[in-house]
Amino acid sequence: MRAALAPALLCALLAGGAVTAQSVARSDYDAAYLGAPLGDPVLQHAKETYVVFGCAYCHGLNLTPRGEAADLRRSVIVGRDENANLIGPLLRAGIPQTSKLSPMPQFSDLSEQQIADIARWIHYARQRARYEELTRAPLPSGDTTAGRAQFDQACGVCHSIQNDLAGIGGRYAADALRMHILEPQGLRGASSFRIDHLRDARINAGRDRHNALLENYSAAEIANLVAYLHSVR
Amino acid sequence: MRVTRRDFGRMAAAGVPTIGGWIAAPPQQRAARPAGGQNRSLVNGVQFGLQPFCYHDLAMTRENRPTLIKRLVENGMGMVELHATWCEPRFDGPGIADEAAREQLREWRLNPPAGYYAAIKKEFDAAGISIFTYYVNLNDSHTDAEVEATFAAAKLLGARGCVGSQGLRLSKRLAAFPGKHGMFLGLHNHANLSDPDALNTEASFVTGLGYSPDVRATLDVRHFTAANGDCLGFLERHHARTSSVHLGDRRRNNGRSAPFGEGDAPIIELLRMIRDNQWPIVVLLEFEHGTLRTQVEEVRLMFDYCKRALA
Repeated sequence: MRAALAPALLCALLAGGAVTAQSVARSDYDAAYLGAPLGDPVLQHAKETYVVFGCAYCHGLNLTPRGEAADLRRSVIVGRDENANLIGPLLRAGIPQTSKLSPMPQFSDLSEQQIADIARWIHYARQRARYEELTRAPLPSGDTTAGRAQFDQACGVCHSIQNDLAGIGGRYAADALRMHILEPQGLRGASSFRIDHLRDARINAGRDRHNALLENYSAAEIANLVAYLHSVR
Repeated sequence: MRVTRRDFGRMAAAGVPTIGGWIAAPPQQRAARPAGGQNRSLVNGVQFGLQPFCYHDLAMTRENRPTLIKRLVENGMGMVELHATWCEPRFDGPGIADEAAREQLREWRLNPPAGYYAAIKKEFDAAGISIFTYYVNLNDSHTDAEVEATFAAAKLLGARGCVGSQGLRLSKRLAAFPGKHGMFLGLHNHANLSDPDALNTEASFVTGLGYSPDVRATLDVRHFTAANGDCLGFLERHHARTSSVHLGDRRRNNGRSAPFGEGDAPIIELLRMIRDNQWPIVVLLEFEHGTLRTQVEEVRLMFDYCKRALA
């Protein structure tokens, strides 16, 4: 695993984070199946950990399940998980009692870090899958009242239509608004590990919050939020 | 003592003669091998093949069959357990109800195009690959006529039997079919100990094998190990009724799949047992553990491990 990650890290350092498939063409890294190494080495390591311990075999590299495995894109447990607090114990114990052909194995020998990496990839892949699904479908008309209630509950802690989001409905078309809600432009990019900048910590916290919401939005909830924010002029 | 693949390779390369007695034993006489003539994956009397579920990245469709054959040759395999989906057309798709697709498949199975399976056999023959068994997910939706057609198709492919992961109840019904075709029904186990109908323990195999002399065990070493079974003891007692093993590694107590030598399956001992007793048990390599390597490369490493075990 480290063998594949090492060139990815080196290239990331040299190229400022941009890693190309060509730069890591190696016989022991199946780029055709695994995809080009990601620019964020933390995520790349999480992905490799997920693959090496066999999770991808049943649950799919990008969470499209194979056979009778649970669909982690729809799993309530994954949706409620925070920092592997639910995924971790389940991985350690497995699911021995099942009506399916094969029970989920237990992974009691994995380290805490390996468990955390597996959970990190599951969440990331779920977020990408949800983003693709929610942005691919035509935007249905939403309920402004329901959207406001949802905004107050999920977004109001950090945002306000009187301050940072004042007049937002006049600045974006509905489709663009949907994309910004699901993946705000200012929160894109790899996590920062700088410890002396409050802004970095706030961006990381904001990214985590938005990603957690992204994992669990329904199409109707997004439509309601868009309807409400689009009405804010 | 547990030897990882890396340790094992190092020991073999260094010529260490007596570690656990694995390396030192001289090659034995050739085991009676299945029909089909000289085979490129016959190693010191042990016939190897592949369960191509190994190629995780390759969808098991008839369109991908040429790639499958190419990979099997690349991996030095002269025998395969062929899943039906490598041969049969698919009728499912957007807007098609599951029941309708299932019915179309049934109709197709009952009336396949003339020469269809013989042509597939020719593809494998041309590549020097024998189809040992035909893997089919038989279930209650299969009519008797469909089961007959499935065995007939397998026969045309040159297979010796049909294998599936069906439970005991269905196996009892299916046991009446293979004898009419001069074939066997292979029972493949998983590790689900909570299902009383599942093939999972030696006792469940004993029950299944009792249904007919035409029933054989397809012992999945990985799952049997994960279900805390004794693979070596099983072969000692039931080798005459075991047609093949699915060889891979897992940890006990419903543990995870692992690269060869990193789990609890007694792979080296089992291979030597088959070789030294000259049992005509086909060893079908299969893995479910994760790897960053290409699937072909991973199979090559597994096969190398086995060859060193039998050196």
